[in-house]
Amino acid sequence: MASSEIYRYLSIENREIGLDPEGFLVDMGDWSPAVAEALAAEEGRILTEDHWEVIEVLRDFYSRYEMAPAMRPLVKSVGLALGAEKGKSLHLMRLFPDSPAKVGARLAGLPKPANCL
Amino acid sequence: MSGQETHDLEARDPDSVVDNSVTAGDLLVILRHAPHGSSWLREGLDTALVAAAFGQRVTLLFAGEGVLALLTGQTAGPLGQKGTHGVIDMLAMYDIDTLMVDGRALKSRGLCTDDLMLPVTLVEADGVVSLLQSHRLVLNF
Amino acid sequence: MILHLLNRSPVTSRVIDDALAAMGPDDRMLLIEDGVSGGLPAQALFFKNLAGRLFALREDLVSRGLLERCGEHVTIIDVEGFVDLTEEANKTVSWY
Repeated sequence: MASSEIYRYLSIENREIGLDPEGFLVDMGDWSPAVAEALAAEEGRILTEDHWEVIEVLRDFYSRYEMAPAMRPLVKSVGLALGAEKGKSLHLMRLFPDSPAKVGARLAGLPKPANCL
Repeated sequence: MSGQETHDLEARDPDSVVDNSVTAGDLLVILRHAPHGSSWLREGLDTALVAAAFGQRVTLLFAGEGVLALLTGQTAGPLGQKGTHGVIDMLAMYDIDTLMVDGRALKSRGLCTDDLMLPVTLVEADGVVSLLQSHRLVLNF
Repeated sequence: MILHLLNRSPVTSRVIDDALAAMGPDDRMLLIEDGVSGGLPAQALFFKNLAGRLFALREDLVSRGLLERCGEHVTIIDVEGFVDLTEEANKTVSWY
């Protein structure tokens, strides 16, 4: 889960966005596509259409269940929303290397997934 | 309706590692506490989610006051505390599809399956006994 | 055989109903903590189907002054007996 303490700030569009020690938004309300781009840029990533549609799925998941998905439900919901071809861990690993559930949640402005060890 | 375990292997994520060698499931989580009154229900559900996230086949058994966790029409608490209904709604995303309900607990509360938010399998009489026997691990919440 | 641990009094808690309903014909029950008051003769009726399969933990009986007051329906075991029961069981389920 995102901690409520601001550890550092991300400057964007004359705003200071509070981040926790792991780079997750402290206030989910701060999220915007521009914030996602800035967070991605920090990691040396450029967001493509493939990234955006998964970010959308992540945000839908959170608005429905009030929880960021772990890897397994992320794969499943991407598959349901975007088709079986994209609902594969390989596809998500390519888009968000290392830990798609965690990296994806950060870019989508969600708390860190609780069941993602 | 019967106390038999159902498993839907087709629906499972094809590119994850699942050990299908156990007949009924790896883990049985028994939920015996109502929403809001304590953290037992949430902890039991969290345990089930963690196990499922690691590819374990999880069966949930709602017994005693735990059957209230499935009621339709639940909301957040009076102070805005998150309920558990969102998690229950989410179980399918974790491939937790085997929801068993102790029919006796439902009946003694004057409830029926129409009162519940998800399709369930009713367990009658000795069904609970075989559920406990057929799972490698049983956790009681 | 499943070993069922009960740590609530059969008089004040209805968890005993759930525990008994979940027990197979070979399963055993061990009363611990507040559950040991089930060892009193007046409580024997709760366990009438568990002849020879009901145990109570000596340490918890002693601390409550119940050791000498236990009925015939319960077998008293110490912590070592608890370990033996656990080893004989293929799993353990707690009821609280």
